[in-house]
Amino acid sequence: MKSTPLAIGFVVLAIVFLVIAALYLFGVLQLFASTSSGPHEKHAILFAVLAVASLIAANFIRPKRTA
Amino acid sequence: MSLAQALFMGLLQGATELFPVSSLGHAVLIPSLLHWSFKQSDPSFVPFLVLLHLGTAGALLIIYRTQWVVIIKSFFTAAVRGRIETPSERLAMLLMVGTIPAAILGVFFETRIKSLFASPYVAAAFLVVNGVLMLTFEMLRRRAERRAAVDSKSRIEQEESFAEAERISFRAAALVGACQALAFLPGISRSGVTIGGGLLAGLRHQEAARFSFLLATPVILAAGVLEVPQLLASGVPVGEYIAAAILSGIAAYLSARFLLRYFRSGRLDPYGWYCIAAGLISLGLLAFNL
Repeated sequence: MKSTPLAIGFVVLAIVFLVIAALYLFGVLQLFASTSSGPHEKHAILFAVLAVASLIAANFIRPKRTA
Repeated sequence: MSLAQALFMGLLQGATELFPVSSLGHAVLIPSLLHWSFKQSDPSFVPFLVLLHLGTAGALLIIYRTQWVVIIKSFFTAAVRGRIETPSERLAMLLMVGTIPAAILGVFFETRIKSLFASPYVAAAFLVVNGVLMLTFEMLRRRAERRAAVDSKSRIEQEESFAEAERISFRAAALVGACQALAFLPGISRSGVTIGGGLLAGLRHQEAARFSFLLATPVILAAGVLEVPQLLASGVPVGEYIAAAILSGIAAYLSARFLLRYFRSGRLDPYGWYCIAAGLISLGLLAFNL
């Protein structure tokens, strides 16, 4: 299944995940965290990984030019 | 915790982590049954268990060192190319797809679930459930063997009619990966549910075990590495804990070697019966405070 809109969707998702990762890293976001203050490195790493996975998915889904 | 207790826990963790019998269940149950005085709610206990897990992950990395080099290379090649061309590239992507659900569930729910259920009674009860699950996986597998008309063949031939890990579907890989979250419940085995999931997805026993061990490595390793700073900051006897982790690694290495050989023709049934018996006996001992 190759689709440019879907690939763009995954890139947007990757950006959202990166923003969430930054928010967790700087202690702004406390949602679903074990403590209510401070940075949450595990959550930040998870969302950074999800961002990378989304970019990989986008690369898989984008239509490729044939030589 | 004394040095002898730490070493015993290391040996227990390493031996039970890869066998489908729940290491967490045993780690909760056995100290209670032996009336050991240390508390599992102690802040140093979780980092200790994590360090033992690092020993297990180290053992798995040693066993699969050449495969991991190929998997990592294949992962980057396929990710950059945006297309899967080789079985090892497919396996790398399957492992990524299988790891993500476990990582999400682990980060958000592991601590909460473990603290909710960290009682020896619960661990014993879930050990029985784990045993029933193992027997159910094998019952469904035997049904699949009958459907494939291979039940009259020898065990090795039966196994050969099923697939290798690289052939599992991406949906099945994600489901098997998510099943790892069940192991947050003490008594439910991570390797048991992932091997069982692999069997349901049509893998050979040995391949299901290989996929389970490969799938476990990044999660265990990441959880361990992230907890190490907390361990060093908590003022625990690091030397003793490292000795226990090394012992855990050695036990895990020997367990993995044994299991990969065993699953050439062996099944999950003996571990299922063991879990049911161990769970019921533990419940009896706990109930009568023996």
